[in-house]
Amino acid sequence: MASLPKRIIKETERLVTDPVPGITAEPHDDNLRYFKVTIEGPAGSPYENGLFHLELYLPDDYPMEAPKVRFLTKIYHPNIDRLGRICLDILKTNWSPALQIRTVLLSVQALLASPNPNDPLANDVAEDWIKNETGAKAKAKEWTSLYAKKE
Amino acid sequence: MTQMKSKTTPITSDYIDDPNYEKVHNPIFDSENISSFTLTEITDHKTDSGVLSQDSEFEIEDFAYSDDEFVYDDEENNETYDSMLSQPIKQITKKEMSEGSVPNLNYEVLTTQNIFKNMLSRLDHLQPVFNIPREDILLLMQHYDWNEERLLENWTERMDELLVEIGVSQKTSAVATSLEKKAENPDISGVKTKRGIAFKQSFECIICCEDKDTQTFSLECGHEYCIDCYRHYIENKLHNGNVITCMDCSLALKNIDIDTVMGHDSSKKLMASSIKSFIQKHNKNYKWCPYADCKCIIHLKDTSSLAEYTRLHFSPFVKCDAEHRFCFNCGFETHAPADCNVTNAWVKKAKKESENLNWVMSHTKECPKCGVNIEKDGGCNHMKCSSCKYEFCWICEGDWAPHGKSFYQCTLYTNDEKSKKKESEDLSKIMKKYTFYYRVFNEHEISAKLDWKLGQTIGSKVRALQEKMDVSWIEGQFLTDSIKILNEAVEDLSELLQIKDPEQIMKNKLEFYNKSGYVENRMYALMECGRDLLCKGICKPTD
Repeated sequence: MASLPKRIIKETERLVTDPVPGITAEPHDDNLRYFKVTIEGPAGSPYENGLFHLELYLPDDYPMEAPKVRFLTKIYHPNIDRLGRICLDILKTNWSPALQIRTVLLSVQALLASPNPNDPLANDVAEDWIKNETGAKAKAKEWTSLYAKKE
Repeated sequence: MTQMKSKTTPITSDYIDDPNYEKVHNPIFDSENISSFTLTEITDHKTDSGVLSQDSEFEIEDFAYSDDEFVYDDEENNETYDSMLSQPIKQITKKEMSEGSVPNLNYEVLTTQNIFKNMLSRLDHLQPVFNIPREDILLLMQHYDWNEERLLENWTERMDELLVEIGVSQKTSAVATSLEKKAENPDISGVKTKRGIAFKQSFECIICCEDKDTQTFSLECGHEYCIDCYRHYIENKLHNGNVITCMDCSLALKNIDIDTVMGHDSSKKLMASSIKSFIQKHNKNYKWCPYADCKCIIHLKDTSSLAEYTRLHFSPFVKCDAEHRFCFNCGFETHAPADCNVTNAWVKKAKKESENLNWVMSHTKECPKCGVNIEKDGGCNHMKCSSCKYEFCWICEGDWAPHGKSFYQCTLYTNDEKSKKKESEDLSKIMKKYTFYYRVFNEHEISAKLDWKLGQTIGSKVRALQEKMDVSWIEGQFLTDSIKILNEAVEDLSELLQIKDPEQIMKNKLEFYNKSGYVENRMYALMECGRDLLCKGICKPTD
């Protein structure tokens, strides 16, 4: 593998020295482009008190290409599907090289705080969310306590 | 599909008169049967609507398979058949087919250059209203998917917001914050940043984080990055045809900026993709020629007649400058008399089924007893059908018992005919039907290819006539004319064309004319019949 670009080294350093509250990101020992990520469920959301594991991968063309992010923990959310794939504009069309790992993870956290059922990825969840918001939120909360337990 | 000439639809010829008919007739390649069946059935339809109206045209295979249904000595059939040929057909001339009952297609063939000119003239037309540079109007129009009305409406209401939206001007607040930033940063004075390239010593680019002496680029927003990062960024964005903005805000790069950064006229690429998007947005009026590497675009100004075409089961065939003929509606090659729906249904089915069929045929064998498809995934050749428990040899598909202990190689003589017969009997009904039609389809495709070859040899024949018979080139053209018609209809006209002796050719000259005219008439008749079937709803494609 080619040597790690300075940009990635700098971002990694900053993630360690100046971590974002509620978010951890650690590069894998064998592959410094692969990060193990945890995000705490935002307060006031159905995901509160949950700890969600994610994986993040920086493709070869990063930062020209967006990082690839995926939830590993099962989550009931209209914009996250069963495979943990996330529907978030900045991960696709609205990616800009001026964004960073930390901004991406903050956006994911914000997505947990404010789901957008009108632009769904998991159609069934989104439908549930629109028709019966209280019920859907209760289910999200239930899933959080089931699958996203803090150790 | 590219080789398929849809004009070679099953055309009947006068097999009735042909003494060789019985010999030629082959139940596998029964395309003739279907078409003649269709022809007779239509005439019958007037009195007895029973047979075809219940089932679709894809359901007639039961008849097509049993040869007995097609005995031509049936007097009544023969009569209706003949009257079909002599009477109504004569009335349908080429002229009527192309311009008679449906409105004319008024179209022009364009190139991307023409389209670009059209785009520019539309922009120039708007220029007095907007009073901003043409390039900015282009951005506005693209933003509004070339919907002028909506754009003008919004323009009068919220001009400034729009300009920010498309990245022509900055948000006033954004300017303020970037100015604040600059105030904090002692390196940059408070003056508004100039658009363009600068040279900086030990510049730290926040994209690549490298610290180096480098050229940099920035727009008025002041987001400055090293030229390498900017180049990389633009390179990635050029292909998708969207407006390229600053990496950190929505301010748009203009074509001249792109060329400045990239050092050559890369903006052309962006323009090419914006032309593509223009065509895409106007796909009701503009269609790319579907042929590979053909760059022609057909522009149909008035699409109102298309509905009429659909209603009458006609298809709007157009021809580009490279003589490629295709259907404006569905983008396939000419496919008369089938309409677009039928064609689409067939192509989809052929695509889907042929894949399945190929796999099934190449990977499985049918149990000789119960016909279940078996895939052999290992083990010896002693097979036991899991469905009917029949034990057989994988190689010869015969009963296992006589094989005794010769486990690994079958030494029994295979009775080919017998097994083939069994096979066809055991094919499931739907597969049988499908395979039959697929074969017919394939046969026509093959004959279309053969026709093309024949066309090639005709040229040399004409030359032979000139040399040996002292026939002038013009006089020899009747051969070439014949081949033109033959290309659209393959029948015993081809027998005449097989004649090698130049003397014989001249003797049969009249026959050439007769046959050509005849075949041509039949073709129109068939097209008309096919359309009729569709119009009256007698036949429709099934799934």
